[in-house]
Amino acid sequence: MMQSAPFNYRRIVIWIGRLVLAFIFIYAGLAKMIRWDMHPRPPLGIARSLFALQIDSYQMLPPWASIQVARWLPWAEIALGLLLLLGWRLKIWSTLVTLIVGGFFFAVLRAYLLHLDINCGCFAKPEPLNGLTVLRDGALFLLAIIMTVFAFQEARRPHAWAVPAPERPS
Amino acid sequence: MSRRFALTSVAILSLACLGTLISVAAATPQKATTKKPAPPASKSTPASAAAQTSVTVNGVADIDPAKAFGSKNAPVVMEIFSDFQCPACRQLFTTTTQRVMDNYVNNNKIYIVHRDFPLPMHAYSRVAASYARAAAHIGKGDAVVQALFQNQEKWEMSGDVKGTVAAVLTPAEMKKVQTLVEGKTLEPLIDKDKQLGMAVPVNQTPTSIIHTRDGQSYPVVGYVSYDVLKTLLDQLTK
Repeated sequence: MMQSAPFNYRRIVIWIGRLVLAFIFIYAGLAKMIRWDMHPRPPLGIARSLFALQIDSYQMLPPWASIQVARWLPWAEIALGLLLLLGWRLKIWSTLVTLIVGGFFFAVLRAYLLHLDINCGCFAKPEPLNGLTVLRDGALFLLAIIMTVFAFQEARRPHAWAVPAPERPS
Repeated sequence: MSRRFALTSVAILSLACLGTLISVAAATPQKATTKKPAPPASKSTPASAAAQTSVTVNGVADIDPAKAFGSKNAPVVMEIFSDFQCPACRQLFTTTTQRVMDNYVNNNKIYIVHRDFPLPMHAYSRVAASYARAAAHIGKGDAVVQALFQNQEKWEMSGDVKGTVAAVLTPAEMKKVQTLVEGKTLEPLIDKDKQLGMAVPVNQTPTSIIHTRDGQSYPVVGYVSYDVLKTLLDQLTK
């Protein structure tokens, strides 16, 4: 089996992807719960309801699903961001992050193509959804795909600094 | 390996684009507004006697009582900035707002304020706002607003706002409404609503601003379903 160099370009891309996506996920999750843009900051229940309204404005999910997504998504974003930073079981979590970012991209692109006059809701604050939002989410989706594919490729090759596997007695 | 990566990426992106296209095709697109020559812009007269009757509730000023419903002692004031020609405003009015009226306004939990925010891109929304305002001032606002929203697709094609309003009023009522519209005495109130909206700022319609007694304001942008809005209103009206 070929060994992987410690600092090849795939590893660098994986690191960039992990750091960028982890920061964005943790920030987005906290922003939805804390609502830094509001003074005074609303209680968690109200912040959650406001986020549910933003999800609902996409007109993609039934009301009960919007409420549930608003309840769990911010926590999931923070947890996934931390897991990306840790790098533990990267293949699993990067795949999940890619699916979620893909979902965001799909929702934003759909709303844009349907000319829905709504706020993005990406970072909780009022931010009209426009072409730039679609491009930004598209770029993040591409980064997540590349990071995940590279993570799978790198997992097949032992790291140059890894302890060599003990030889089997013949 | 790089070829496999490229193929995988292209396949995933293609699937995402395909999914999006299918979803867009399946969804009902909002009807594009038929552009018609705009009616002549109305000249606003100086603030009339009608403009002086505006009230302040829960810190929300410049409320035209004819366009507001509920108890002034309600813990929450909900301002709705809307445009009669906007499809999402129609959707909000015919579904969510009606249920908010039934369950919160009629129970004195919410004081609801309808603000006119006619967008310049809509040829007849200002005319519709003038008729609705005039009808509200003779006590027939509800019927006219319902008629305007329910027949939105018809009058935005034909431009016959007057006919739509006349269909739900008696000749005597229509005469009073027509006098108010032609006299332009209520135009300053519509202009005031528009100014207030621009100060928020309202970037799109409908935009609802929910004000609580402690001075906090929560903007809600676009169409939202009643069940989701209810989760917020229940917490605020506790």
